[in-house]
Order: sequence, then C-alpha cells, then structure tokens
Amino acid sequence: MSQLKVKEGRRKAPLSPWKSANPKKAAKVTKPSEGVAALDHRFGIPMVAPFFVIFLIFGLAPVLYSIYISFYKWDPLGGSTFNGVQNFVTLWGDSDFWLAIRNTFSIWALSTFPQMAMAIGLAAILRSKRLRGASFWRTIFLVPNITSVIAITIVFQQLFGRDFGIINGILGLFGSDHIDFIEGVVPSHIQIAVMITWRWIGYNTLIFLASMLAIPDELYESASVDGATKWQQFIYVTLPQLKNTITFVLVVGTIGGLQVFAEPQQLAADGGSSKQFLTLTLFLYNQAFVNNKYGYAAAIGIAITVIVLIISLINFLITRRISNDGSGR
Amino acid sequence: MRKKTLLKGSIAVSTVAILAAGVLGTPARAADPVTITIWTFGDVIQRQLVQEYKNLHPEITLQIKKSDLDPLNGTNMVTACTSKTGPDIVAVEVQYSGYWRSYPKCFTDLRKMKTSETNVAAGIPAGKTALDFKKNYLPWRWEQGVGYDDSVIGFPTDVGGLEVAYRVDLFKAAGLATERGAVGKLWPTWDKFITTGVKYNSKLSAADKKAGKGFLDNAGTIYAALMNQGTEKYYKNDGTDAGKLTYDTNPQVKKAWDMTIKATEAGIGTRIGQYTSDWNIGMNKGTFATILAPAWMMDYIKQQAPDTAGKWDIADLPGGGGNQGGTQLTVPSYAQHAQEAYDFITWYLAPEQELKVFKTYGLFPAASVLYNDPALLDYKDPFFNNAPVGKIYSEGVLKVKPIFEGKLQRAIDQAIGAGLGRVAAKKMTSVKSWAQVLADIKKVINN
Repeated sequence: MSQLKVKEGRRKAPLSPWKSANPKKAAKVTKPSEGVAALDHRFGIPMVAPFFVIFLIFGLAPVLYSIYISFYKWDPLGGSTFNGVQNFVTLWGDSDFWLAIRNTFSIWALSTFPQMAMAIGLAAILRSKRLRGASFWRTIFLVPNITSVIAITIVFQQLFGRDFGIINGILGLFGSDHIDFIEGVVPSHIQIAVMITWRWIGYNTLIFLASMLAIPDELYESASVDGATKWQQFIYVTLPQLKNTITFVLVVGTIGGLQVFAEPQQLAADGGSSKQFLTLTLFLYNQAFVNNKYGYAAAIGIAITVIVLIISLINFLITRRISNDGSGR
Repeated sequence: MRKKTLLKGSIAVSTVAILAAGVLGTPARAADPVTITIWTFGDVIQRQLVQEYKNLHPEITLQIKKSDLDPLNGTNMVTACTSKTGPDIVAVEVQYSGYWRSYPKCFTDLRKMKTSETNVAAGIPAGKTALDFKKNYLPWRWEQGVGYDDSVIGFPTDVGGLEVAYRVDLFKAAGLATERGAVGKLWPTWDKFITTGVKYNSKLSAADKKAGKGFLDNAGTIYAALMNQGTEKYYKNDGTDAGKLTYDTNPQVKKAWDMTIKATEAGIGTRIGQYTSDWNIGMNKGTFATILAPAWMMDYIKQQAPDTAGKWDIADLPGGGGNQGGTQLTVPSYAQHAQEAYDFITWYLAPEQELKVFKTYGLFPAASVLYNDPALLDYKDPFFNNAPVGKIYSEGVLKVKPIFEGKLQRAIDQAIGAGLGRVAAKKMTSVKSWAQVLADIKKVINN
C-alpha cells in the first residue's frame, strides 16, 4: 500500500526543476501507461545496473581511494607512510593553492559570462526565419567542440603571440605596444578564456537555440500586436523564457570551469613563470606527476570536490528560486 | 584485493605458458605474429627504420604511440609500473633519467636479456647481453640508463650535443666574423658570448630594435647549457642511491643563474619562448642570429625555416662542450614481449642505424664508436653552410663530463626556469626571484 503511494507521488512530481513551469501541463505529459509501469518492478534494477556498476568501478572507487591516500605520504612506486591531516594543513597554508583558486575563478568568470551573452545572441540569429542554410550553421557551430585542445592551443598561440601574433599585429597598427599575453595575469586569463569560449560557444548556442525554438510563437505574436519592437521582444519575451536554460548552462559551465586543465597546461606546463595561470587541476597534476606528491595531490582533489559541492549548493538554491518564480507567472 | 590476486595469477599462468612455449616450441615452426607496442615522442622512432625492420621481420608489427599531454612519457610510465601493465618499449627522456634510475624495479634488467638469432643476418650477434653492447656507446650517456643498483634499464638513442647555430648573413651585416672557426673564437667564454651579443645588438637599426630583434633567441637557454658543463647539478654523489641535495650550495648553480641574469640584463636575448609560434616565425625572419642548438634541433630548424637553407652555420659552444636532451629506450618490467623488444632495441640502436638516423634527422648518435668513423666525421650539412656537423658535435660531446642526476632534478629545473622567466619578464629582481626559487624548491622536497 505504501509502495503504491510512493509511486503515485513520483508520478505527480515534476521530472526536473526545468520542466516544472506549468504543473498542469507537466501532469498531462507524464502519464505513463499502466503496462510499462508494471515492468518497473521486475526490470527496474537490471536496467539501471550497468550504469551503477560502471559508476562504482570508475566513479566511486577512485574517489574513495583518493580520500584514503590523501591521508598518506604516497609514492606509488616506493613506500607510503600515514600522514594524518598534514596534507590538508599544508594545503591550507600553501600560497599556490590560493593562487590557483584565484586563477581558476578568474578564468571561469572571463570565459562564462561573455560566452553566455554571445551564445544567446548567436542563438537569436540562428532562430531568425530569414537566415538561409540554418542547419548548415547549426552543424558548423559544433566543430570547435570536437577539435583537439592541443590543436586549438597551437592556433591560438599564433593569434596571441607577443611578437608576431595577429592580435598584437592589429594593436601595432594603432601604435599600441605589444601585449605579452603569456606573462601578464589578466592577459593570460583572457587568452585562456577566449580558447574556452571558442570551444564551447557553439555547444551552448545550440542549447539556447533549442530552448528558444520551444517558446510558443503566440507570445511573439501578441507582443508584436502590443507594438513591441524586435529588441523589446527579445528582452521581454525571449530572455525570461530562457531563465531555466541560463541556469543550466551556468551550472554545467561552472563544473567545467573548475576543471580547466589542458589549455593552461599547453601554454606552459608549470602555469607560467609566476604561476599566473596555474589552475586548480593543473596544480593537482603538477603535484602528482612532476613533484611525485600523490598524497598531497589527492588532498587537492578533495579540496576541489568540496569547492564544487559548495558551488553546486549555491546553484541549487538559485535554481529552486528561479523555478519557483517561473511557475508563478 | 581479490581481483589483484586473480590478475597476478593470470600473469603467472601466462608466464609459465610463455616459458613452456620457449622450451617446448620447435624451432622449425614459422614465427608467430607479434605486436610490439612502443611509447615514444618526437623523432625518437623513425618511420624509415620502422619500415626497414618490418622488411626484415614481416611477422613483427610495431605499434607506436605518442602522447600529447605527456610528451616525454614521464607520467604514463608511473601508471604503467604501478598497475603492472604497459608497453614493450618506452622512450625515456634524460630529464627523467634521474627519477627512473631510482626505480629499476620498473624495468627489465637488460643485463639479463640475451639477443636471439633473429637479427644475426642484420649484423647483431646472438646471445649478447646489454653489457656486451656497452662499449659501443659514450660512457656518460650509457650511465644515464643504468639504475642505482647497477642494472641496465635502457640503451641510449642519441646525445643532444650542444653547439651554437648562427646566421652567417646576419653576422656579416653586423660586421662580425662569419667563418665558423673565427666565430667560435669570438666567444671562448660565456662573458665573451654576452659581449659579442651586445656588439651585435648595437649594430641593429632602430626599426630592427623596435621589431624586437636581438642576438640570441632566448637568454634563458644559457642556464641549462652552463649547468651541463659542470660535474654536478643539484645533487652530490655521496655513494648513496639518493645522493645529497646541493642545489643551494653548488657554486655551479649560482654561476649559471648569474650568467643567465647577466645575459638577460644585457638584453642579448629576444625573450621569445622556444617552440612557440613566435619562435618559428622569428627563425624565418632573422629575428635572432643565434640559437644554442642541440644536434636534434637541426632538423627542427630545417623543418620550420626551410627558406633559410645555407644561411646557418654551427660554431663551438662557449666554455667547452655541452649537452641538452637525449633519450634511452627501455623495456618495462611488465612488457609482454620483452625478448622481441630487446631484439628490436639492439638492432635499432646499433651504430649502423644510429648513423642513418643522424644523416636523415640529425639526432646525434650516442654510439661513440662512430666518432672515429669517416662516414660521420666527413658528413657535411648543406643547410648549415656545409658545416662538418658530425665532427663539430662529436668533439663537443666528448668534452661533456658525467653528472649525477637525482630524483627531483626535473622539478628543481622547472622551479629555476620559472625564476629566470620572472626576471626576464621584469616581474621580480634577480635576488627576489632567487629567494622565491628556493622557497618553491623547499616545497617540493619537503613532502
């Protein structure tokens, strides 16, 4: 009896925060047939098992193992000794760690917000009915995403080169001094952020586009009847409807942003001469694989996890607020 | 845990099977196809020679892998050794040799391997251990492939003898000597090298200076060159495997640091980072007139700046011979085809093959038996103004003294390199930056 109740409850609950805009509509859509639901009981666990088995082996086990070795001075080839919480104490006092946090968040901010604005703009262009060859453009937007980071770095180094880079060449035409993108703190962050933006903007554009295409035409029709210009339609119709998608992109972008590794690593493996673009994951990598401090690296990994958890919590709270807002309208 | 035992069990079983096959297998049977996996980087494994080996042994497939993120196989090898798996051959760059010499257990001791009869026709006698081949190679290069327990973990491929590559046309324009002997005499010492650089820069026009032109590509490269001219780097050989850390007391470190700072402050370098696109373009545009060039860099220059053919020449390095880079081919202890791998290495790194590699790719042979061979001594490279590169580099590498390399050498090198970079970028004074270097190194060694 209680089981039935739980099932009822689950059926009524929204599938995800983004789909809860209209409870009546949601209920209508998610009414499974009784036949399929009955199979839940017998096949549910075997059906989800593959995911959980893989997750246990490749997801959970390494995490638990890292927690374990973070309490050790760990040398995979030599001996290991128990170190208590010393790795965490050292980490807290390590200026490189705080520097890496600063760099990571700076690169994240520089790559996320401009990218989002541009992606929404591009999606609005792609949505336009006057655009010819729409599917061609949509496909081509994904190409950067499947390009190797190594190749991207080589190309962008040519753009950002201090002496012969195209960007400095253009600045030179205006009589400006050449910018040393690698050595500066903000310039190096900009260079990395541009590389990330270039790689992910197409992907995010398509997500925004999909969400824009789901906005009912009637909204625009009534807006234009009310005399709204295209710009006003964009501000007052499109953007509010994208709220949930924006949150989604922000969450995914934040998790990705905390893991920026290959771009800075390719620019300089040590993160720059004054570690000006040492990110958290690059810091972790170098501690493990250059300095052979595996236990310490594991402690950094746990610190990153904690940071991600805090940010996810903030994201979750904001998401909940926004989706509550959305249902009110 | 249980899984591990199972795995070990299966390895034991397959070892028995291999042994059994070795004992019982009839020699008349046609050779089974074997795939040798090789982890390598750059030009270490040459395509032409791989093809040649294929022609000799159609049954053997060489599967070659290069890693982008871990170009010198420093970290993949840790994983391989820890997980007791891995390829049959790994190319180990000398930057890592200090580290790997501390872990001979990760490698097959090549003293215990014997060549099979498979390459007898190609000139490799059967039944030879690594010690039988030792005499062919430059002694200090051989040592870089010897573990601290005296086991032989790798054969040397090339030696990165260091000389100065210079642009004859730019030297002429600056009114400097152009003939390689006379150019070498301009800089018997590093101080004289800097003086020459200042002189060269003073002849540059205002427009050239504004375009960032200079004498040397990057003054920071002087540091490694000078360090390798000593007998000690950051460790003192005190008879123990680990050695004693002397990075803060070794006068050679301070000397190399100070000389590099002096060159930086004199402005002889262009501050272009090596292996960047700016560097490649600068090489074509004559932005710098000299590069401290290891032998293996000759091929890079040819590839990147083909239009400068004939304009380059090679002169002696200030302060005597030098070295930068080089590789050992090793057989990890968990290689599945150790015998085939050993047979391949003994063939691939035989003097005959190393000479071929030198002539096509410029990797200078570590096989010192070649240094008296007219085929090497008379070899002239038209790209470098017909310089007798074989003669120049062999004389240089014979002057190099063996250096005791410790386990953390690479991390210390990295900290010092960053320190020099901070001074070059004018972010810190030399004194402050050096203090930061010491603090950074302390962090690394105090686990």
